Amino acid sequence: MGPDDAFSAEMRRLPLDPDTDPLALDDETVERLLAGELSPEQAPPGYAEVAELLAAATAAPTRGELAGQAAVLAELRAVTSTRRAPAHARRAARPPRRRWAGAAAVALVGALVTGGVAVAASGGLPEPVREAARSILSSDGDARPAAPSQPGPAPSLVPPGPAGATTAGAEGPRATGSTHPRSGPAGTGPLGEQEKKGLCRAFLASQDKTTGKMDATAFARLARAAGGESRIPAYCEGHQPGDAKPKDQEEPPDSQGQGQSGSPPGSGGGQGQGEPQTTRPSSR
Amino acid sequence: MIGPEFPQVLSAAARGDEEAFGRLWHDLQPRVLRYFAVVSAAAAEDLASETWLGVVRGIERFRGSEPAFRAWVFTIARHVALDWRRRAAHRPTEDLAADGLLEQVAPDDPAAAAVEGFSTRAALGLVATLPADQAEAVVLRVVAGLEVDRVAAIMGKRPGTVRVLTHRGLRRLAERLGDDARIRRVV
Repeated sequence: MGPDDAFSAEMRRLPLDPDTDPLALDDETVERLLAGELSPEQAPPGYAEVAELLAAATAAPTRGELAGQAAVLAELRAVTSTRRAPAHARRAARPPRRRWAGAAAVALVGALVTGGVAVAASGGLPEPVREAARSILSSDGDARPAAPSQPGPAPSLVPPGPAGATTAGAEGPRATGSTHPRSGPAGTGPLGEQEKKGLCRAFLASQDKTTGKMDATAFARLARAAGGESRIPAYCEGHQPGDAKPKDQEEPPDSQGQGQSGSPPGSGGGQGQGEPQTTRPSSR
Repeated sequence: MIGPEFPQVLSAAARGDEEAFGRLWHDLQPRVLRYFAVVSAAAAEDLASETWLGVVRGIERFRGSEPAFRAWVFTIARHVALDWRRRAAHRPTEDLAADGLLEQVAPDDPAAAAVEGFSTRAALGLVATLPADQAEAVVLRVVAGLEVDRVAAIMGKRPGTVRVLTHRGLRRLAERLGDDARIRRVV
């Protein structure tokens, strides 16, 4: 009962009777509003703007909201490869040894970790070397190139309602589809912001969770970027999830060259909301 | 929604297939971000990342339908938000709610509800001004797209309570927006 009592009290206090409360709703109407099935015109008196608000809350994703995929995939890669190769020492900075991965391939590891696989897969390296790189990065040889995949985005977060607003948003989801900037330069150079974030998170997770392990190649990459293993904690400072921190300014500029109003290009959406969407939702 | 392919996408993602995982991420990340924009806006982006770290670590063990998966992701998200609030409680110097997002959409600002309609950000900001339980119930129902029972399970409340919370939330929004409309007419 406990947590519900307050609401029961509120229910008693606030009138729900349609005769006395012009804003009272029946359950079915609430459900239809929540599901986006009522356009502002169809909404009950007093709820037109609520219908509009709910439509805006479920509008098609903005580019800013879809900017962080590379970091998540870096985490996935780290976790997956760790799972597949449990023998990796947690702090092993040495390159992993595998099958026929020869010296050349080992030398490539630094250049190919995480974001670099795509370069290997497309960049004119001999096939055996490419295979070696893939094999090292993902022990079963069927790893995909690391380029973030871009499946066709949904036009909206909810299925279009029967009578949705039809004003086209300028920010069509597909317009942003194929050109998501890579997280940063691949290989041995400085880490891109997203890659740094992913690696640091993986590192930090490996530090304080007994189950956490970090992929050795990813660790090596991070150590190189930080300037040494011992400097990783300092390098990763500020990437502890939830810590307030100034946004790093290293992130490469938005390669799409279409900075949105009010948000500096490449900022990644400092408030977590990406670009402000200034148009009506596109397909509700 | 992924749809009928979901089981294949899920199992591929659980094996580490990046394209498959990317599809799940693509479908849910905007919703996760918007959830955090309402419940803990000051750190929405970081908390979303932390949520996905949890998904990455746990997806191998997850079994269930697409709605169940979505509910699972938001269960993680909610724990992340609660953890963050607990941590934040020990950092008294940090502002919790007084972030730019909410300031931009102060409910008494007529521009927040301009005739042309809301921006997504403004809409979420307005939802965030509701009492916390109402805001969370509304955002889980609407943005996360979860059924009452799943929202109830995530919030640790009874379905009837979730119904009341969402109803209250919508009503409060209507009152507030109605006031805005009156202000606009006066101005």
